[in-house]
Amino acid sequence: MAFRRTEHHRGRRVLATLLFLLAPAAAAEPDRFSASELERIASHGPWPTAWMRDPGNRVSANPAAVHLGYRLFFEPRLSANGRVACATCHDPARGFQDGRATARGLTDGVRNTPGLFDVRQQRWFGWDGGHDNLWSASLRPILDQGEMGGSAGRTAHVLRGSAALACHYRQAFGKAPTAGDSDLLVNVAKAIASWQETLLSPPAPFDHFRDALERKDVAAAAAYPAAARRGLKIFLGRGQCATCHAGPNFTNGEFGDIGVPFFIKPAGVDPGRQGGIKRLLANPWNLLGAYNDDATGGNTTGTKFVRPEHRNFGEFKVPTLRNLTLTAPYMHNGSLATLRDVVRHYSDLDEDRLHADGERILRPLNLSEAENADLVAFLESLSPATPLPPPVVPAPVPACRAP
Amino acid sequence: MKSPRHVPTAGAARRPLATLLAALAGLSGALAMLPAASAAEPKLPIFDAHVHYSHDAWDRTPPKEAIAILRKAGLKRAMVSSSSDDGTQKLYAEAPDLVVPSLRPYRKRGEISTWVRDETVIPHLEDRLRKFRYAAIGEFHVYGSDADLPVVRRMVQLAKQYKLWLHLHGDSDAIERVLVQDPEARILWAHSGFDRPEAVRAMLRKHRKLHADLAFRNDHATGGKIDPAWREAFIEFPDRFLVGTDTFTPERWYYIAEHADWSRAWLADLPKDVAERIGWRNGENLFASMMATK
Repeated sequence: MAFRRTEHHRGRRVLATLLFLLAPAAAAEPDRFSASELERIASHGPWPTAWMRDPGNRVSANPAAVHLGYRLFFEPRLSANGRVACATCHDPARGFQDGRATARGLTDGVRNTPGLFDVRQQRWFGWDGGHDNLWSASLRPILDQGEMGGSAGRTAHVLRGSAALACHYRQAFGKAPTAGDSDLLVNVAKAIASWQETLLSPPAPFDHFRDALERKDVAAAAAYPAAARRGLKIFLGRGQCATCHAGPNFTNGEFGDIGVPFFIKPAGVDPGRQGGIKRLLANPWNLLGAYNDDATGGNTTGTKFVRPEHRNFGEFKVPTLRNLTLTAPYMHNGSLATLRDVVRHYSDLDEDRLHADGERILRPLNLSEAENADLVAFLESLSPATPLPPPVVPAPVPACRAP
Repeated sequence: MKSPRHVPTAGAARRPLATLLAALAGLSGALAMLPAASAAEPKLPIFDAHVHYSHDAWDRTPPKEAIAILRKAGLKRAMVSSSSDDGTQKLYAEAPDLVVPSLRPYRKRGEISTWVRDETVIPHLEDRLRKFRYAAIGEFHVYGSDADLPVVRRMVQLAKQYKLWLHLHGDSDAIERVLVQDPEARILWAHSGFDRPEAVRAMLRKHRKLHADLAFRNDHATGGKIDPAWREAFIEFPDRFLVGTDTFTPERWYYIAEHADWSRAWLADLPKDVAERIGWRNGENLFASMMATK
């Protein structure tokens, strides 16, 4: 009897779910979803997505390279003053960000440090997309005089000074790290990239909700807070946020001008994507160059055809919305301190800053305070519900383990 | 992963020395084929027909600094409009030899979509037209049947009365409606309406006093090479096109010089006479001359 009652309840729940999912009036309800909305919710998953190695990096997923990259990511001796490592700005405890408005390496920078979770999924790298591959993007800060100020010679010295590092380099690349090796820096960057490719964010509350809807598991879906649900409706509907923040990683991987000022101090402007494309095309380490390990050239299409346009001036990358609670402040220049500020930016959008024939989807959302809070609740649901453990330390390869 | 300060310059490390030498030899050969005077030839002057200097621009880039930007970019002249008009007047006072004033119907930014139904626009225009000299009214935004609204009609009359150009950002329908109101109206079609070159040519054929600027569009040239359909348009109507940056945010003042260089690059792909006309002579003939003769 108890079994039957349970079945009966389950049956009612399924019926309620179907009504919940498909009721014609659902779109008008503050926290119910229409069939169209459900379809769009499904498009933001599943998470995590399938991982694929980078064909442009021959040591992508190579265990020796991953271990070497991990060690070098935290290695301050690569920098000119011996005190700045990749991890100085990309702090694992902060979603591989630094919590500052703009980065500080050897000197102060002008852009906000992006987090590194799920970086393997990106198509362009850096706020301006000045790189078309992760290893090239990882190489630049090592040499940049304002960030680490390093060099090939310094890097080779660090590698040769450690039997374990030198061994992993040999295992990964088949040769010793010599000071005169012109490939050395690129190889080091490829190793660092191979480690960053392993940084994957775990499913967030939204993912559990999305998966529960897919399974038609009402009980599990009910655990998703009502405020986040209402915020999700705004995200999909009035906000049109999903137009750019699309797919499982909540980004279309491209660039936009959302009306954030881009002056820099003390004078001048940050040209954003327009400057990024010019740097990309001039970069000897882009995918059109000799260091791309993809013999098919299948990964070069974007770089072959991208050209700077007037509209790119002041455009910045559409960032992922995952892990935002770990990576404040926000925007390319860190000018917005909180997620509430970000939502308010879109709510009170200054249309005068947008070209009349530019970002046509952007209009002030004119959200109430309650709606603002709902949208923030949804954004927060894209971050892990509990603190993330430190990244897993990749094991040394057997050939390089100390006897 | 953050903002770059220096673009790496190392490269070609894998290329054998012989390849590099061969490349250098080829380069010197190519250089030898360039006209000898090209290195010393002065930059093509540019008449920038689409510059705004609104309140947030003059807050950030004061007139002296703004004029320095225009001169450094090698502009022969710039047609400037602003919201409010005070910005235009500040710049014109600073450099009357460089600035060609145009009067926007907007008293502040944010009136782009409301002005056509705002009757207070008219006394604003009348007042400014009595007080100051202009070559044009605009840039203003109007689409389709809105061009027949009373505020727009009165503005068209004012342009006729003061013998001014209309710098119109809108579709071909709006252009047609204005030309019904005043068949002799002289219109500078902002952004060439973002229309395809064939459609722009059709409009230019149909309306002999219609001119078009190429601001904020890239489709006519890539990497200094002109799109074939646009080339036909430029060759057919060398006296009807102008270039322009469109400084719709204050930051874009820092793009004026780069835009001028970008324009010079694609203009160089045209016969010299056509390039000069589109680059600056058309602007001089149509607008600057008006300021000189008043």
